[in-house]
Amino acid sequence: MMVETPETRSPSLRSKMKIDDLNVYYGAFHAIKRANLDVPDRRVMALIGPSGCGKSTFIRALNRMHDLTPGARVTGTVTLDGNDIYAQGVDPVTVRHRIGMVFQRPNPFPKSIFENVVYGPKIHGEHNGKRLQEICEKSLHAAALWDEVKDRLNRSALDLSGGQQQRLCIARVLAVEPEVILMDEPASALDPIATSKIEDLIGELKKDYTVVIVTHSMQQAARISDFTTFFLLGDLIEVGTTSDIFTRPTDKRTEDYITGRYG
Amino acid sequence: MVGVRANKAHRDERVALGFLMSSSAIFVLAIVLILAFLAYNGTLLFWQDHVSPLTFLFGTDWDGFGGQFGAAPFIIGSLVATGFAILVGGPLGVAIGLFFSELAPKRVAETFKPAIEVLVGIPSIVYGWLGLTLLVPFIARTFHAEGDGLLAAGIVLSIMILPTVISLSEDALRVVPNSLREGSAALGATRWETMSRVLVPAAASGLAVAVILGVARAIGETLAVQLVLGNAAVVPKSLLAPAAALTSEIVMDMGDAPEHSAFRHALFSMALLLLLIAMGLITLIHLALRRRTT
Amino acid sequence: MARAILATPTVESLRSNNARSRRIVDKIATAALWGAASTIVLMLILFVVYLFVQGYSAISWHFLTGYPSAANAGGGVGPEIFNSFYILFLTLCFTLPIAVLAGVFIQEYAGPGRFRDMVEFSAESLATVPSIVMGLFGLIVFVQLFHWHFTALGGALTLTLLNLPAMMRVTQQALASVPQTYREASMGLGATKWQTVLRAILPSAIGPLTTGVVLVSGRIFGETAALIFTAGASVSYGASAYDFNPFHTAETLAVHLYSTHREALVPDADQIANGSALVLLVMVLVFNVVARVLGRQLTVRLTGKA
Repeated sequence: MMVETPETRSPSLRSKMKIDDLNVYYGAFHAIKRANLDVPDRRVMALIGPSGCGKSTFIRALNRMHDLTPGARVTGTVTLDGNDIYAQGVDPVTVRHRIGMVFQRPNPFPKSIFENVVYGPKIHGEHNGKRLQEICEKSLHAAALWDEVKDRLNRSALDLSGGQQQRLCIARVLAVEPEVILMDEPASALDPIATSKIEDLIGELKKDYTVVIVTHSMQQAARISDFTTFFLLGDLIEVGTTSDIFTRPTDKRTEDYITGRYG
Repeated sequence: MVGVRANKAHRDERVALGFLMSSSAIFVLAIVLILAFLAYNGTLLFWQDHVSPLTFLFGTDWDGFGGQFGAAPFIIGSLVATGFAILVGGPLGVAIGLFFSELAPKRVAETFKPAIEVLVGIPSIVYGWLGLTLLVPFIARTFHAEGDGLLAAGIVLSIMILPTVISLSEDALRVVPNSLREGSAALGATRWETMSRVLVPAAASGLAVAVILGVARAIGETLAVQLVLGNAAVVPKSLLAPAAALTSEIVMDMGDAPEHSAFRHALFSMALLLLLIAMGLITLIHLALRRRTT
Repeated sequence: MARAILATPTVESLRSNNARSRRIVDKIATAALWGAASTIVLMLILFVVYLFVQGYSAISWHFLTGYPSAANAGGGVGPEIFNSFYILFLTLCFTLPIAVLAGVFIQEYAGPGRFRDMVEFSAESLATVPSIVMGLFGLIVFVQLFHWHFTALGGALTLTLLNLPAMMRVTQQALASVPQTYREASMGLGATKWQTVLRAILPSAIGPLTTGVVLVSGRIFGETAALIFTAGASVSYGASAYDFNPFHTAETLAVHLYSTHREALVPDADQIANGSALVLLVMVLVFNVVARVLGRQLTVRLTGKA
């Protein structure tokens, strides 16, 4: 169905992840249909499309979160540095360790700020108090939250504002030192100021990480991403550099969406 | 390094799953053992002591040491007391369930609910003591009778099953979709009409479960009943005459019946009968719930 | 056609008559429901006041700590109170691990399938076994088969069987109150399921879990019928009132209330029963208050959530 053109494969950069023939089903519903995509290393890849187009379903397939959804089934291959994360014998837990995820709504644990950040390192076996302190500070710095919370690391994370909570969740992901960070509309529940802080942060993050972000806002995709992928009704329609997608899309449906003809 | 950690985490995961599954299996094992032991001990009377099951079920003469094992007086006592409790406590419990799900303002619900929690927590022996010292003298004065008997037991049981019936019927009513309430109100129905003609029928299977669990609680209740029944091993002639129930008779006689005697075996048979009734009620509940899903 | 009927004057007046009577019925029904619900509360108040009035004169330091007396007036219930707590403690030692693990299994691990159905059906069945029947099962196994005679341990094991389903349900409800996002967040950070349960879910559920456990403990404390023929209806006269040997007879306070009424020779049996009933009631109230306060405190302390 999808024609392989230079545009459907992203440009000549080292690929961090390669998605081939990916299908996702919820029971009998075919939610993602034969998607192919290369995710370039240390760049920001935005996934856009009208709501219900499958972009969230797609991103959750990239670190095997669908394993937790009863009735969901995934076929095809998703490779990370050339290794298929769906291959037999691959542990989803290790996959999620290397491919972290930030969710739509901030979801801090009902614990202190410190405990939230070091949750992952502790689980992965780091119990040295001094090391944990360092990881915590480093991660909070990287998430641009350190200055706001350094005096109250032992306070409950639930006392933070929504935007701070979301940056805490990003810090929590950074603390496990993943290679890829998946973000599922990370700013959709936030106000404009908090949103712009998150966007600045994403710009910083791509120096060290590969970022894939689902966004419902085309402006946001244009502001922060290097590459953009357009989804419609479960089909991956088009992928290209963000400037190409927004200025000269090759597919009529992409153009219709960019120019505001879908909701 | 990560590999080693992951291996350890994996081993923990497997060990944990082992513990989780064996703990769950204990539930299955427990009920199987209970059924097996009571099935064996509860039938000794029939195949070891050669008492006919029909005599046991329908005979009215009971004399433990004299070899008379007609349990009909107790079966009748249990059924009548439970029936009374359901006739009074069932509708009352459903009504109060309706109150909590449809009428009660939040503040009122918050003050009343803890009261119900406390009523659940009061030990049955204390209910029995209240029945004996508060209710029995009251009945005696009102009806010029002894006071203890099936009426007293029925009233005590009605009160004891209320918390169960209330909370389960409230749950059943709360899951009725709001669209039904709105739909009924939009047709000009009063609140009571909506409750009685739409909500109660819509929640019927859940309400049935609430009442059935009330039956289960009532029929198995022992000490509260034993204290107020009067404990006469005869078929009761009226609600005001002393009587006995399966549970109360077991507790009365068990201490006296020697091990390996037909007397003790007869008491085990009564326990088996109670267990079978309980299992029957569980099956009924599953039938009621299946009707809801189909 | 319909309009013609509606326009008929008699029907019009019927309608308004009907509406008035329907409104009256609604008012009466509403009042009746309020009345029924209030009755419950009034009843509880009556019980509490009555038990206090009857029992408070029996309560003294000597009554709460002293030995029961065989034939003379003035016996206490010290060993009985101790035994009630001791059997509760033993019961929780068995019940808690099994029920919490099983609750975690059902709520977090088990997909739909035959094993889960079997466990749930078994739990429901166990929950409906009358406590006197459970008591006879305990008698058959621990007293007749194991020849333990009446023991605290046999009583505790019987109560364990009786309360496993309630504890499991309490666990399931507490786990169900934890938002799904915590599970996703933890798994998204590469935690295994068990790590997620242990470090993210159980700590978040600790408040409601504690409330539930304490409420069930209150019921274990007052249980009677299952104990008469397993833990016995007399106290062991060991070296002290506080006999920790789990293989000794251990009459609890609730059983004492029963046996005093049933067969006591002491002249002040009614007085002792009134006192025991009051102590049992007060304990129920204490368990209820503690459940609420402790649950709320733990939730605030461990999750920072009011």
